[in-house]
Amino acid sequence: MVKVEDIQQCAAGLLEKGQVKSVLGFRRGTAGAMAEPCTITEAAEAGTLVWDPTCLNNLALYLVKDRKQQAASKTPDIRPIGIVAKGCDSRAVAVLLQENYFKREEVFVIGVSCEGTGVIDPKKVATLLKGRSPSRVEFDGADGFKLTLRGGEMQVPAREILADRCLECRAASPALNDVVFGEPSGERGYATPFHAAKEALGASETERWAAWEHHFDRCLRCFACRSVCPMCYCPECVVDSTSFVIEPQTSAEEKANRIKWCERSPNTSESAVYHLTRAIHLAGRCVDCGECERVCPVNIPLRLLNTMLEMEAFEMFHYQAGHDLSQASLLSSFRDEDPNSFIR
Amino acid sequence: MEKILSKEKLREWVGKLDGCEVHAPAFADSVWNYAPVQTGGDIDLSHTNTVGSVKAFAFPQREVFFRFEQAKGGAPVLTATVPEPRPTVVFGVRPCDGRGMPRNDKVFSAEFKDPYYWARREKLTLVGLACNEPHSPNCFCQSVGGSPHSEEGLDVLMTDLGDRYHVKAITPKGAEAMERAGDAFNEAGAADQAEVERVHAESRQQPQRPIGDLAAIPEAIKQNFDSPVWAEMAQHCIGCGICTFLCPTCHCFDINDEATGANKGERVRTWDNCQFPDFTMHTSGHNPRHDLGARLRQRVSHKFLYFVENHKTQQCTGCGRCISECPVGIDIVAVLERVGQS
Amino acid sequence: MSNPSQTTATAPTAPQEHEPRIVAFQCKWCTSAGSDLAGVSRIQYPANAVPIQVMCSGMVSPMYVLSAFNKGADGVLVSGCHPGDCHYMKGNFFARRKLYLVQKLLQFIGLESDRFRMSWISAAEGTKYAQVISDFVRDMKALGPQRKLKAKR
Repeated sequence: MVKVEDIQQCAAGLLEKGQVKSVLGFRRGTAGAMAEPCTITEAAEAGTLVWDPTCLNNLALYLVKDRKQQAASKTPDIRPIGIVAKGCDSRAVAVLLQENYFKREEVFVIGVSCEGTGVIDPKKVATLLKGRSPSRVEFDGADGFKLTLRGGEMQVPAREILADRCLECRAASPALNDVVFGEPSGERGYATPFHAAKEALGASETERWAAWEHHFDRCLRCFACRSVCPMCYCPECVVDSTSFVIEPQTSAEEKANRIKWCERSPNTSESAVYHLTRAIHLAGRCVDCGECERVCPVNIPLRLLNTMLEMEAFEMFHYQAGHDLSQASLLSSFRDEDPNSFIR
Repeated sequence: MEKILSKEKLREWVGKLDGCEVHAPAFADSVWNYAPVQTGGDIDLSHTNTVGSVKAFAFPQREVFFRFEQAKGGAPVLTATVPEPRPTVVFGVRPCDGRGMPRNDKVFSAEFKDPYYWARREKLTLVGLACNEPHSPNCFCQSVGGSPHSEEGLDVLMTDLGDRYHVKAITPKGAEAMERAGDAFNEAGAADQAEVERVHAESRQQPQRPIGDLAAIPEAIKQNFDSPVWAEMAQHCIGCGICTFLCPTCHCFDINDEATGANKGERVRTWDNCQFPDFTMHTSGHNPRHDLGARLRQRVSHKFLYFVENHKTQQCTGCGRCISECPVGIDIVAVLERVGQS
Repeated sequence: MSNPSQTTATAPTAPQEHEPRIVAFQCKWCTSAGSDLAGVSRIQYPANAVPIQVMCSGMVSPMYVLSAFNKGADGVLVSGCHPGDCHYMKGNFFARRKLYLVQKLLQFIGLESDRFRMSWISAAEGTKYAQVISDFVRDMKALGPQRKLKAKR
């Protein structure tokens, strides 16, 4: 078992010695059972850090956010940041390093192994409780969770409410780390890698389209999937046009002819353009933290699009995102033996 | 009109609403949301709250204003597309969502009566269901002047009494919907009345998120306009649109022309969102609300300051969706508390 | 809940045979030259393909493909130089990897797998160009109009 005191002590030590300017971690929120992200800058605050199965967020997002803030600042503060990272989060840091988003010495990874379990999937909990939410979720031994509800407690085997990403996880302890807490753990045998994507592929073409048409049709275009993704750091997304500057001399024709890849309307076709573009842009970069799927308010299984591409990357191109910092990225490299038979 | 409807007769009532589009909460894709009810279909009213609010029935996410077309050399031709919906009855509306509608009505009629909104709104009958217990730990309807059995904005209020519903018509539209199935209902006796009052009183005692002094909030927000509190509270905000898209009273929209062919198109209204970077983006590229703190301040100020100034009431009805669904735990109640303190 | 908005009626299907529209992204150095050769050699092939010349198959963004389907293409072809013959040395190798994933993604969401194709056609292969287009048009006629990703307009 990971002791939260270890994480707290580590964070306090880093801040005391001035090794980092802040530590990204989790604290108890006010909004229910889920832990929320926090940034602590004083050693005295380290006691608020928590570690439990509701520490869902991928905090690497805030490394990206900080980098953007510093880039816009007149007096940038580029001292290192400490980050509490699960296995998947550390892979996200690795991809960002691989892409030179920041330097290795600018981040201190406080690795936490998920050991035998991982984090819960609030959607599975919602299904279990038919929409109700627990007031507290704790680890219950090595392979179970304890939910506290109005009027009672409930023990649930991990397998039932563990997030899909955790069931399929192949590296539950952070490979990239400066310090790691908890026992090392790899594949846990809950489900084979890419299980969900493979299962989805088992359906017929008509069934697959019926499912995705239903999903694209429901999309609200709140863009939470994009906003929460540490890899979605483009200054301007194809669906927005925030950098199309209109000057006094910009003609009506130029305004009319600017490229609009996707309309604002939340139609099936437009949402398909958005989600497929996002999926392909994450090919070879998605570390399967599952955040896009978790945050979706209407529960579109977005993770399937990404893991399906990671499955192809792994099986056809022997590529795993966030595993080898020196490796060229998936789409900026090739091999002579890449598949060619699909080409006429 | 107050009646009693046994639970098995709910289906009969719904069946009598022929000619109407009927919607009710359904649990699909691990989430409660409104879904159309097929004729003779069952309704499950054991829902918590729907993820999407009832506002979408009057103010859909996409509304076509008109179509336009211009043949080469000809004059442009506009075709009006004011909707002509069938009468629509929505079941299972929670009182917080019900209270949202009169607020939206104000917005879409204060200075200009929006024909698109009202074409749908006038055909809409809201059948509410009182909350006997809070369906989420983030409920705070009573803290913003509502109650778990508020009748405001609803046409009918149903209360679950175990084996039966107490059904009360609030508006003539609601009474009409009930009269459609006159024989399905029984008269409510004195014992039923007493039971309803007991259930309502009990529901008001259930724990909710407290807001200290509601009346002092507008002033506190004004005092804190330039405060670092906003940036602090929005430190982990990711700038997505969940809070406002799910809100029963957020009503900001965008209008775009969408080409549908080489020389034709549609003018379309879609929901917009004060949390998005292009919401306040000027054509020059300048963005007056360039950071997430300013955007959080806007969302909170609109609900608890500007709306109060313009319409004498809060724009928030305490449904708690923005809190429960926020991916990073930003909590409007905690924000108000923090702003009130500084 | 889907958004209750007015839906635009889809165009009624024409009683006559569907004439597919195919968007062909072809590289300037090989496939475009190949299509020119097909033209000057007076090889007969269907006129259903809209050729779009690009500098290299490697510059074809997946967005071009998605956008073409969004705007109503029945099929999309990306065609470049044979492996090893790229004018920019390795552009077509990048294209191959990237577009393989695009193809898999489109299949995954249930688009008919035949609707997206790649080919290698050199400047000397006028006959092959005509053949690839003819085959594509024939297959798309059999499949009928592409309605899945097309904007409802």
